[in-house]
Amino acid sequence: MFDEALRMEDIHLAYRDIAGAMFSKPRTLGYFRGEETDPQKELFSDVNFVVKRGETVCIGGGSGQGKSALLRIIAGLVRPTKGDIYYFGEYIPPERLTALEVAKRQVGMVFQNGALISNLRVRDNIALPLRYHKMGSPAEIDEKINMAMDLMRVRDEADLFPHMLSMGMQKRVAIARSWAMDPKLLLMDEPTAGLDNYNRRNLLPLIDNMRTLFKTTIIIVTHDLMISKELDCNICFLHRKKLTEPKSFDYWLNSNSEISKELFRDLRTSG
Amino acid sequence: MIKRANRNSDRFTPPAKLLHNLGLFLLHLQTGQQAALFFKAVASLFSSSRSFKTDSRNIILQTFFTGVEVFPILFIVATLFGTVVIIEVITMMGKMGFSDVVGSLIVVVIIRELGPILTAFLIAGRSGSSLTTYIGSMVINSEVDALATMGVDPVRYLVMPGLIGGCIAMVIMNIFFSASAIVVGYFVTKGAILLSGNALNIQLTWTYLSTEILNAISLSDFVFVILKPLVFGAIITTNACYQALNIQRDVRQVPKATSRSVVKSFLYVVIADVFLSVYYFVEYMNNLSTLI
Repeated sequence: MFDEALRMEDIHLAYRDIAGAMFSKPRTLGYFRGEETDPQKELFSDVNFVVKRGETVCIGGGSGQGKSALLRIIAGLVRPTKGDIYYFGEYIPPERLTALEVAKRQVGMVFQNGALISNLRVRDNIALPLRYHKMGSPAEIDEKINMAMDLMRVRDEADLFPHMLSMGMQKRVAIARSWAMDPKLLLMDEPTAGLDNYNRRNLLPLIDNMRTLFKTTIIIVTHDLMISKELDCNICFLHRKKLTEPKSFDYWLNSNSEISKELFRDLRTSG
Repeated sequence: MIKRANRNSDRFTPPAKLLHNLGLFLLHLQTGQQAALFFKAVASLFSSSRSFKTDSRNIILQTFFTGVEVFPILFIVATLFGTVVIIEVITMMGKMGFSDVVGSLIVVVIIRELGPILTAFLIAGRSGSSLTTYIGSMVINSEVDALATMGVDPVRYLVMPGLIGGCIAMVIMNIFFSASAIVVGYFVTKGAILLSGNALNIQLTWTYLSTEILNAISLSDFVFVILKPLVFGAIITTNACYQALNIQRDVRQVPKATSRSVVKSFLYVVIADVFLSVYYFVEYMNNLSTLI
């Protein structure tokens, strides 16, 4: 139980809950809304998912299967219609399950579009959460920012605004921003989408470093199935409203299941 | 492992159930949600992540944005409005022989009622709408979600500086409005009299006007000069932030939310003005016996 980073039990998500938390609405409203019982109206039902500490897991699946929604549930942005979530062995009851509460457990998230604050420079973007939470003196924070920028190789762009950067740059800044918070569990939504091959090949060792040096647990949602081969991690699929067991890349490549036939056909013929 | 909380409300005793349903009913109303957002924003002032330096910087920036940039327009509106009110009141009242109520009329129209309301309209139209677009586009670009996943409370980071800054700016701008409506309005009236070759045929001097106004003004007016804009500022900024945070993830909702923010601000401001004016009505009713 205590070597688990994340445990999800019997998670259901109805279509009407996908939009997620509105910060204008009090949490109570969503809590007392009653449960959706019609399985036809659910994006996925009965998802069980366990991640061990220090483990890296990829979540794959076709478009529209709810991969990103699952990640948003883990980050606390969407409250599941039904189900329990444990972070590091600690149960958070649904009435307290918000992104702020989850973020206190050192869970970081990298969004698909980076989601940098557009009126702050790159440096201030990375510094924002550190300054907000007063994580150390100004000198320490500066040192941490520089370290994060060096790690993601965005030091030269430190004084630019996000709209001056390319998509790949923005994504790297977003990863640097999450890394600077020292997350114990890092959620990544499509980290390689929109990156060219060179940057993609640079990014993967960085993710690898993060998990070996800092023992970060990483959950990656991706279309890019080769990531799991290159990072040598397990991959599971959202398929027909269910989440499969995490299995290695080679297992999926050689198995005879429906998922393998659908998603690994190209990889099989090419290699 | 903590036991799961029971989600159904069947176990409640009848009074608890009544309160529960009442609370849910209030929170389902938009006004209730706005009130909740307002209290959350005020409470976030005292959260553990407060830092005087950053907060004061954000608030001062917001005050500048809300107040100073709207000043030229506000100044012109106030001056012309003051001119019109002074000319109308003095000519009409002089004609009808009510010259002794000139001061009270100017106080009621400019300082008590229309000054705060016009200031609130100007600030709602300019700063409220821009606050809605600014936060609304952050919602669309999922920057607000990103803030929340970093543990930065969006209510504290976005709503609170706007709320406090808006209130401060409203108070200052309201005082500016009333002052320039009376003082600059007086000089423009003088200019109009000079230009028209004394056609209006009124003996208007600064001593006369200021004594009339100072005689008419009461202590409650000074309280309301501060209180009214505070309430209006809180209403405008809370409403603007609420409409922005309420946007579904759809770009077309941003202009809709902006117009809703402005129009609803007008509505709420006028309603709040009526409620605040009840104080004067009560005073008037109490003095009714002496008048008759």
